[in-house]
Amino acid sequence: MTNSFAVALAVARKDLRAEWRTRELVPALAQFVILALVIANFGFQIDARNAPSIAPGILWLALVFAGLVAFGRAFAAEREQASLEALLMTPASPVAIFAGKALAATLLLVGCEAVLLPALTLFFGTPLSVQVVAAVLVATIGMASLGCLFAAMVARVRARELLLPLLTLPLWIPFIVAGGQAVQVAMGASGSYDQAMALLVDFDILFVVLTSLAARFVLDE
Amino acid sequence: MNRYEKAAAAAVVLMLAAGAAIFLYAPTDALQGPVQRIFYLHVSAAITAYGCFAVVLVGGAIYLRNGSFVADRFARAGALVGLVFTTVTLVMGMLWAKPIWGTYWTWDARLTSTLVLWIIYAGYLLVRRLAEPGRQAARFAAVVGIFGFIDVPIVHFSVTWWQTQHPGPIIVNDALPPEMLATFFLTMACTLVLAAVMVVIRYRIETLADGAVQAVSERAPIVSAREPEAEPVN
Repeated sequence: MTNSFAVALAVARKDLRAEWRTRELVPALAQFVILALVIANFGFQIDARNAPSIAPGILWLALVFAGLVAFGRAFAAEREQASLEALLMTPASPVAIFAGKALAATLLLVGCEAVLLPALTLFFGTPLSVQVVAAVLVATIGMASLGCLFAAMVARVRARELLLPLLTLPLWIPFIVAGGQAVQVAMGASGSYDQAMALLVDFDILFVVLTSLAARFVLDE
Repeated sequence: MNRYEKAAAAAVVLMLAAGAAIFLYAPTDALQGPVQRIFYLHVSAAITAYGCFAVVLVGGAIYLRNGSFVADRFARAGALVGLVFTTVTLVMGMLWAKPIWGTYWTWDARLTSTLVLWIIYAGYLLVRRLAEPGRQAARFAAVVGIFGFIDVPIVHFSVTWWQTQHPGPIIVNDALPPEMLATFFLTMACTLVLAAVMVVIRYRIETLADGAVQAVSERAPIVSAREPEAEPVN
């Protein structure tokens, strides 16, 4: 158990170090979400009155598509250098390797959120409260576990760019429903913030457990 | 006529009987008029689709456990037939919604979750097509089928969990007159038989297709022996 934990941390550290040395993904994602905000601005005609009702939607749209890119890239380097097979041939358990890669991809997405949330506040004037940050972070856990599972799955399938969104987006909808409600309430809409957060935590637990059970079948070759 | 054709003919006769009950036996609804007759097939198709997706779930779980291709072929058949019945449910529902609600579609919890269900299993079939045929496709599809089934209880309980426009459960609430209830159960039984026949026929098709793939791959070594310099296709 401690061994698996150490393996997961080592894999995560390796991925984060690779990202730190190349500095490819996070800057690209940051630019991507800023562009999404610019496009939203032109698509919606945003002013001070309608910003609080539109901003949550823009937040989730940008986050969902940034997430797809981030998780799609999680296994890209391994595939390009065919190093995933080498990783899997080590005695380390596939689930631990998967957990490590999922952890690293999640942290990279959190890095992208650290750009997205302040940018949203800056451009749309919505509050950057603890509640908004908490809702986004809690949703990220479950979305990342699912996203990484399917990213690992499609890594070795042709047309993976097509399949990843098709598989991931429908299963992310529970997080967008609950997270969307939480952020809307945090930005001034009526409703129950606690209820939405409780639902988010429920979905997190459900999908993290299911993903850890399924990871073995996805990576095992 | 072979036994598949006989089973298909029997299913058609049963569906015609259900249609006769729907249009000739069941009374016209006092409020909604003849449009209400859509209800019988709409609800039956929805429950049948749940059943088909349960076949996908169980088939996938058995495949992951012991690698049985029989289970995998049943899962494949269940996904396709379930998708057909989800389509029937959605189309029937939209035809009912236009005169009753005044619109074909509304972003109601039940409608949205059913649409998501359709997308999930359409994705399942796409995974089957895009993944490498054989063990990889079967394993990936099994995982998708197991995760996708999470949406079935969400669809089913959406009318109680959220405030929706969609009518709630009226069968279990005993809100129907006996003639309507009898018509509903007859339609339900006939639709289930139709789905079972469709799954069995599709299973047969999948078996034949797998056999064809196997036959081609057994002949492949002869081809590669003739072309030793050929690059492995990846």
